[in-house]
Amino acid sequence: MFAAICRIQWKASALGVALLATLAFIIPLLTVQQAGFSAGDRRGWDLIVMLSAVETAGTLFPILAVILGLTLSVGAWSADHQAEHVYALTLPVPRWHYVLLRFGAGLLLIAPVVAAVGLGCAVALGSFDLPAGLRSYGGAITLRFALAAAVSYAATFALAAGTKRTTAAVVGVLTAVIVLALVLEAFGVSTAVAEGIMNAIFTRPGPFEVLVGPWSLIGV
Amino acid sequence: MSYAIETQELQYRAGRTFELGPLNLHVPAGAIYGFLGPNGSGKTTTIRLCLGLLRAERGGVRVLGHDVPSQAPAMFARVGYVPERSHLYPNLTVREALALHGAFHRRWDHQAAAELLGTFQLQGDTRIGRLSKGENGKLLMLLALAQRPDLLVLDEPTDGLDPVVRRDVLMALIDFVSESGATVFISSHLVHELERICDWVGVMDRGRLVAEVPMHSFKNGIKRLRVRNAPAQAGDPPFVLLARERGDGASGTEVWVVRGWQATMRQYFEGIGAVLQDVVDLDLEEGFVELLRTARVPRGS
Repeated sequence: MFAAICRIQWKASALGVALLATLAFIIPLLTVQQAGFSAGDRRGWDLIVMLSAVETAGTLFPILAVILGLTLSVGAWSADHQAEHVYALTLPVPRWHYVLLRFGAGLLLIAPVVAAVGLGCAVALGSFDLPAGLRSYGGAITLRFALAAAVSYAATFALAAGTKRTTAAVVGVLTAVIVLALVLEAFGVSTAVAEGIMNAIFTRPGPFEVLVGPWSLIGV
Repeated sequence: MSYAIETQELQYRAGRTFELGPLNLHVPAGAIYGFLGPNGSGKTTTIRLCLGLLRAERGGVRVLGHDVPSQAPAMFARVGYVPERSHLYPNLTVREALALHGAFHRRWDHQAAAELLGTFQLQGDTRIGRLSKGENGKLLMLLALAQRPDLLVLDEPTDGLDPVVRRDVLMALIDFVSESGATVFISSHLVHELERICDWVGVMDRGRLVAEVPMHSFKNGIKRLRVRNAPAQAGDPPFVLLARERGDGASGTEVWVVRGWQATMRQYFEGIGAVLQDVVDLDLEEGFVELLRTARVPRGS
């Protein structure tokens, strides 16, 4: 069963996964190149500028993780939405089992992109000698990318599983609260609602904490 | 008698205009049960309720001994379902659809699937989204048959198919039933089609089950009688008087549509001083039309 679901999910997401895996491989290479680590002449190195460039380029990793999660969750449910879920509901498995199969198959498809990140990091970091005092975080970045992609996938999977109305309701309520808070603040009424929501989501122990903060491939 | 499908006081409402039931449906195990009714009579809704795809407001459903919807997964292991519209994933090829379906059904018959693929002349590499309506109908039937079900639930399986494809699909169905003895619950508004294959018939109209009888009883029991000099009050006839209409011309002849007719009932007309001129057999379609007509119009009006 799982293999069959994996096959159809791969078919639905293969193009997106291949494209994202390519980007995942390229990002570490671009990072070290943009920062100047792979340049031959090291006499003019300004480590602060270079590390800043690494950090800036690192923001591409969480963006890629979110896009990957979105791609896989859309791939997981689009066929069922098209078929109005009738096929899935007539299979001889409980609904929770089917959802787990779909979720597991999507989770598995994160692996090629994570592997591409790891490979890209290894190639990028192997292309030059790290200056004394600096450390590379290829393994940590790869692991963190895997977690970020999984979290992003889980959230978008849950949203995409619902009907259009449910998805619109969840997104609409969140947007309305934030817009209302911003409007109130524009009129001088301090609510801290928007800030509170953002903190609850993106700071520890929020579910998306893994996405924010520095994603430095090279640091001190 | 054991039943493959049994509903008790099943009720459902869709919006303000459509109400179904209370419905007490009994599909005998091993029967080929034709589920007749005009478009919009509630056939598809009933099927979806029976399979747990819709939630009833009241009442209960048991399919092959399983309570629906609570035991729907166990039920679907033994039920092949062909819906009115294709529910398959359009981006899969025919072969991929077979592999997916086979992976979920333990009784999947690979050999039967391969044979039906050839019989139906389906190309394994064709994407489902590119199949014609007829090919889609054949693929749905193939999937339902190759899972070797104890019960086949077919919702207008031949609707919109050309005669050749319709014949292929019905032949495959008949072959399977003759081999396996499975129960078939088949809905259609194509009355002639069901007349050939069904041994039980249920008739839906406006959300109500207006008849549920063995096919032979349905076909033989409904007659059109030409009666002369009938009194205004019919008294207490030994048959069910479905309709009574003035005949052509001014001869005082009436046309009676009756159910439960037997030849020995001729004496009744002598008793009321009327003359029975003719007894006309109705085929299933005529019987169906008369049944619906009389179900909708109060008797005697």
